[in-house]
Amino acid sequence: MILYSIIPMETVFENMEQVEKQELKEIAVGHATMLIEQTGPFEGKIVRLISPDPQDYLKEQYAPGQKIQFQPEWLA
Amino acid sequence: MSNQQFSDFLNRPPFANTAVNSKESQPQSPTNDQEPAASPPSEAPAQEDPKKKLLDSITQLGQTNVPQLESNIYCMTIIGQVEGHIQLPPQNKTTKYEHLIPQLVAAEQNSKIEGVLVILNTVGGDVEAGLAIAEMVSSLSKPVVTLVLGGGHSIGVPIAVAGSYSFIAETATMTIHPIRLTGLVIGVPQTFEYLDKMQDRVVSFIARHSKVSEEKFRELMTRTGELTRDIGTNVIGVDAVKYGLIDEVGGLGSALKKLNELIKERKGEESVLQ
Repeated sequence: MILYSIIPMETVFENMEQVEKQELKEIAVGHATMLIEQTGPFEGKIVRLISPDPQDYLKEQYAPGQKIQFQPEWLA
Repeated sequence: MSNQQFSDFLNRPPFANTAVNSKESQPQSPTNDQEPAASPPSEAPAQEDPKKKLLDSITQLGQTNVPQLESNIYCMTIIGQVEGHIQLPPQNKTTKYEHLIPQLVAAEQNSKIEGVLVILNTVGGDVEAGLAIAEMVSSLSKPVVTLVLGGGHSIGVPIAVAGSYSFIAETATMTIHPIRLTGLVIGVPQTFEYLDKMQDRVVSFIARHSKVSEEKFRELMTRTGELTRDIGTNVIGVDAVKYGLIDEVGGLGSALKKLNELIKERKGEESVLQ
């Protein structure tokens, strides 16, 4: 990766070592896959959407940062 | 937990209409007389008048939905660092390219969207991610108007010039400077030739998509005495237009007006073709 920015590299990468790994969980919603950060037993925050249908990316409820409810595997 | 309690639990949001719910609740209903009271009648809401429905939603949830206006313009904002293959530490505000690219695909494909407005206030970022966004924007068949507010620095410059027409706010700035020698690829400091090639990709893209010539851009990029302890130029609003980098000085109103004009023009062309 080459950074082309007016912000000095030291500032951008400060605390890079201390960043804790985000625990992400993969869930399936219809034909889409979502990477979520679990916030409760049945609830999570969308981090990334992976979908073969581009229109899914325009859906407000699928946007990153939105809360989503899902059914955990042990109940399925 | 009694059977009744359990089936009530399953009827609440995360499980309502799920496979578990239907499996568990169906065999119970003949034996349990209270069941129909617990689940709302399915036909009723269709017959209710909209006013009552609205009141119900206010009393139940304390809020109501604002009527959604269908817009024919898709707005995209690019703020902070343009983030590429490496996730940056949390003190950086970033725009992730993997979020923007599918949105652009959807905007191109969706028949309701007639134009795209890109608002930039970025400090730069990953070269490849920035160029990927710029290429996507420039290859869109629908009109795209870009607006630089605050700043459109470094890799923000190719994105700013990628649209069909570009605006810059009077007070907004763009810093034009060379890609620095601190760039890393797999942790190895790059050779001068590699960086030079990288620089060429950025410069030629800008020259192809704006009125500034490659020579002029390189001159601005390597100018001394403008930035402290560094080479390059800080181009402010009117100057960006003077150098031919940006088409016009203006704000949101003029950007939307131009976009609507371009949409109308495109519609006119299409009807002529048919």
